[in-house]
Amino acid sequence: MTTRRTLARRVAVIAIVGLQVALIARGYWADHKEFAFQMFPESSTWRADIVRVTTDGRRIPIERPWSGYRWDELVQDRGLSSPSIRHHADAGLDNQLAFLDAALDWVADNTPRDRETRYLVARVTAWHNDDGPRLEIIRTARREGLG
Amino acid sequence: MIASLDELLGRPVSMRSLALLRVLTGAVVLLHLEPFLGDASHGETYRDAFHEPYAAWYPELPEGIYIGLLWLAAVAAVAMSLGLLTRVATATTFAIVIYNVFLSTTHFHNNRAYLIIVLGLLAVAPCGRELSLDAWIRRRRRLPTLDRSAPGWPLWLLRFECAAIYGASGLSKLVDPDWFGGTVSWQRVVRARDDLEAAPLPDWAVTTLTDPDFHTAAAKFIVLTELFIALGLWWRGTRYAAVWVAVVFHVAIEASASVQVFSLLAIAVLCVWAVPSTRDRVLRFDPASVRQRRWARVAGALDWLARFRIEPAAPGSAREVTDRDGTALRGAPAVVLTLSRLPLTAWFTLPALLLPPVRRARRADREMAVAPAG
Repeated sequence: MTTRRTLARRVAVIAIVGLQVALIARGYWADHKEFAFQMFPESSTWRADIVRVTTDGRRIPIERPWSGYRWDELVQDRGLSSPSIRHHADAGLDNQLAFLDAALDWVADNTPRDRETRYLVARVTAWHNDDGPRLEIIRTARREGLG
Repeated sequence: MIASLDELLGRPVSMRSLALLRVLTGAVVLLHLEPFLGDASHGETYRDAFHEPYAAWYPELPEGIYIGLLWLAAVAAVAMSLGLLTRVATATTFAIVIYNVFLSTTHFHNNRAYLIIVLGLLAVAPCGRELSLDAWIRRRRRLPTLDRSAPGWPLWLLRFECAAIYGASGLSKLVDPDWFGGTVSWQRVVRARDDLEAAPLPDWAVTTLTDPDFHTAAAKFIVLTELFIALGLWWRGTRYAAVWVAVVFHVAIEASASVQVFSLLAIAVLCVWAVPSTRDRVLRFDPASVRQRRWARVAGALDWLARFRIEPAAPGSAREVTDRDGTALRGAPAVVLTLSRLPLTAWFTLPALLLPPVRRARRADREMAVAPAG
């Protein structure tokens, strides 16, 4: 007769194995490939010119400190601290650009002393493995509460 | 089929390999926590810079409590390694490590995913009954020793995860024409050319490593190596070779890339492929011989997976090892076989099992066992 413990054990093992297989499969389309274990997936590279677009229309590179903020202090992780330099996309291009997109949003939302930036925009040049360059524009939403 | 599965999952097996893995993983957790604790000691946490929560509802703690939790994880990891309040310590370590990793997408890396899996399975396995202060305290209090075997399902799951990681990695490269064709590895090496030239490598090696034709073959070799490890671990005939290749593979990765704790953890996890039974080989030594006594002491101290029963032999006997199948080896072949079964020396001595004298000795004893009357 199947005891409750035996049943629980069976269900737990089948669930974990099933979940692991599903996560490995998900890695083939998701930007963030948690538990998919795709190691060193690409030799792709990228670089980005990121500017702050101010309320009066100026486009100021984020390499220049603003309102007491510095990009490389705000964004330190995942190879994003110096975007103007061409970098390897460690975990693949889609993953890298998803992080860049999220980082732009985070900076836009977490710089309260900055009263002049309307939005941030990144002009990204990406090279998937040995393919030619492809251009992509990533921009944040307009920041709220500016004068 | 369901009955066979239930029997397999519930079959009592030795938890020795998981106990050893627990000891090693505690140290790996400390290495994993080191950058977080380093930042925290300067008053910095993930919140001070770009981070991206997985979900808006995921609870974030006040900074002081968060830093305290990281330190608690470090203490729990030490307790886990020592085997002090093992179950609680392992569960605490697991809970804090997984909480911290899932605080932000930026915290996630493959090595941390593997660490979470290992900690989760160690937390549910009764792996604190040996190689632990808990066991030592029970002995001191003259309490009965707890059963060192338990249902094998956490061990089988960890084996599955271990093989799945090599398999997933190898498969993703196999189906990617750029990887399997050599483009990815070639470009990565070419971009690191400055580092290569600065390394103490001869010119011909640098030229070869940056040659695209070399990578056309090398990429296939890498992919097939990963797949061989993933599959080879499952069969006894290929398991030792797979473990040996896996160690080389991880050392090569560690030398050529920054992978945080991945190499250490992955090598430590390989111990779960040891047959989950203990003391089923016998090592005999002559107690009258100083050298043999020393040999028995060293083998006993390095026998972290409890492979051997160590017994005194008749005076004047040569060193002898009786394997699981009853094969008895004496002298140098016995030393080689013993060292090939100890975690610290296995990698160095496994190839020596292929040497003709060792193979001859093992074959000869097996044949004698089959036809003892001659």
